[in-house]
Amino acid sequence: MTGTGPVEPVNAPDADGSFEVIGADAPRLTDRVAQRWGALPPRARKSAVAAGLALLTAVGALLLAPDDPETREPLDLSAWPADVTRWDYLGLAEHPNSPTTRGSYRFAVSVLRGPDVTLRVTGAAFDGLRAQSTPRPEFTVPGGATRRITVEISVSDCSELPLDAGFHYLDVTLRNTHAIQRHSFIFGGAFSRDLSDLLHEACDPIPPGPGPRPIGSASSQNAD
Amino acid sequence: MRRSLVILTSVLATGALTLTACGSRDDNGGSDNSDGDTTTLTIGVDAPLSGENSTTGLGIQYGAQIAVDDANKNKLVPGVTFKLKAYDDKAQPATGQSNATAITGDKTAVGAVGPLNSGVAQTMQQVFASAKMVQISPSNTNPELTQGKDWQTSKKRPYDTYFRTATTDELQGSFAADYAYNGLKKKSVFVVDDKQTYGAGLAKIFSEQFKKLGGKVVQTDHVNTGDKDFGSLVTKIKNSKADLLYYGGQYDESALLTKQMKDGGANIPLFGGDGMFATTYIEAGGAATEGDLATAIGVPADTLPAAKSFIETYKAKGYKGDYGAYGAYSYDATTAIIKAVKAVVDANDGKVPSDINDLRAKVVEEVQKSDFEGLSGKVAFDEYGDTTNKQLTVYQVEKGAWKAVKTGTADLG
Repeated sequence: MTGTGPVEPVNAPDADGSFEVIGADAPRLTDRVAQRWGALPPRARKSAVAAGLALLTAVGALLLAPDDPETREPLDLSAWPADVTRWDYLGLAEHPNSPTTRGSYRFAVSVLRGPDVTLRVTGAAFDGLRAQSTPRPEFTVPGGATRRITVEISVSDCSELPLDAGFHYLDVTLRNTHAIQRHSFIFGGAFSRDLSDLLHEACDPIPPGPGPRPIGSASSQNAD
Repeated sequence: MRRSLVILTSVLATGALTLTACGSRDDNGGSDNSDGDTTTLTIGVDAPLSGENSTTGLGIQYGAQIAVDDANKNKLVPGVTFKLKAYDDKAQPATGQSNATAITGDKTAVGAVGPLNSGVAQTMQQVFASAKMVQISPSNTNPELTQGKDWQTSKKRPYDTYFRTATTDELQGSFAADYAYNGLKKKSVFVVDDKQTYGAGLAKIFSEQFKKLGGKVVQTDHVNTGDKDFGSLVTKIKNSKADLLYYGGQYDESALLTKQMKDGGANIPLFGGDGMFATTYIEAGGAATEGDLATAIGVPADTLPAAKSFIETYKAKGYKGDYGAYGAYSYDATTAIIKAVKAVVDANDGKVPSDINDLRAKVVEEVQKSDFEGLSGKVAFDEYGDTTNKQLTVYQVEKGAWKAVKTGTADLG
């Protein structure tokens, strides 16, 4: 622990400050409210603000009264993103028409504490595999929250892919207001088996005829 | 507008707080322990404190010492003062076993932290199991210790009293193989081990995983702990044309091996496990270590905010050894025992059970239920006694210091 991590400091919060909708997750309530607010006439907005203030005052008094400020958990702004982010494999995503060179996998990504973490899946260890979250390659998980996401993995080159590696990796870049880290999430168990199934479908058996293990685009090897 | 809302809310809240505060003052009434009686409980720490491996062994001792000092200072268990007693096993299994017997024979001892070496742990486990005393190692990584001899096919926990805060070589060896093959793009490796439980086990797992990934193990060989001259081995490595040397063992031998290998003209990196992740490796091997690699458990301490004050204390106290590899894990192991004692005392109306055997057995049960944020992250144990914190880092020597080049977190479920 004497080393410095594969990290880069961050001096500013997320550039766009936006939260993205990933996979099959429902749109955020805040997005819908913001849309409706923008559609209201000015007079209606003023009335709504006055009513809201009265409500907030009452709620504020109720919330603050029984709470001891000293016992409240402070927001851990010093949390490094890889140390507070957890990935859990949920299973295969439904893709009935997907070709055998591509699979979609569902994960729950949790940020245990601290500020929001923005993540980008950059690979799956091997040069012959491409991985990214869909529909967007980058997504944000708020601190203290869990989001379900889909990662699509495609086989681009079978030549040096192990079909049964035992462990499989997702290489991820994580960013919060404190640091940027490149980190691997390592999976045994169900994800490893599901990914191995994809690799077998895409790269095994070696097509009949002369030549070594297929080289080049895997999709061209599975045209039948 | 926002400011007026804040003021209004504050006024109302202040009034409400004033009213509610009157009724909450006397809630602490029953918890005072004003009779002045204190019980002293001992925690044994076993590691190599002299000779081979002592750099990391001392890091374990003083990591435990800081945990005990913190617990006493903060009165973590009211009415209990903890004392740390250190035992030097010299990295020898037989000595470790004798130390385990001494610790369990101490009627003030509630648990033990250590040892460093997996081979030493094998001789200690039965002793602690017979005494129903908890043992937590901050550094043992051999999978057999928690998952049994057939861990690859049928996991079975051999001892309910044994736990560890370090993750296993199943993960460490695989993580190293992945980095060697995919990160470094090395395709042929020469594998050497020191014939010890840890070194041989780690080298075997690395080799299996490297081959699974598509790499080639061109040759394997062994050394003895304490060896100083690796001339014939260097010739074999050079002739093998391997592009990487993987070493399963400790820094004492690997530092000399890398120096002699590079002096002998085999200019390939040496890659090892946590046993060689120590500043002593670089000091002993000198410039020849540049570019060498090691995996280590956990993530770099400078990414763990909670470890900051631990490191400051370690340095301020001028403790010997290297806290870098296992210091924080030793702190967490010791704290797990202390928190378990607290749980037992709390459940016993604030009193320490008078029967030491009863206390020890209950502490084992409470350690199994551990769930707290330690220096190294969450401290909890699975059904085998393994830590649930499965983080690893690959370090590389760069400009005379270990630098983290890759971190990973495992979910093996």
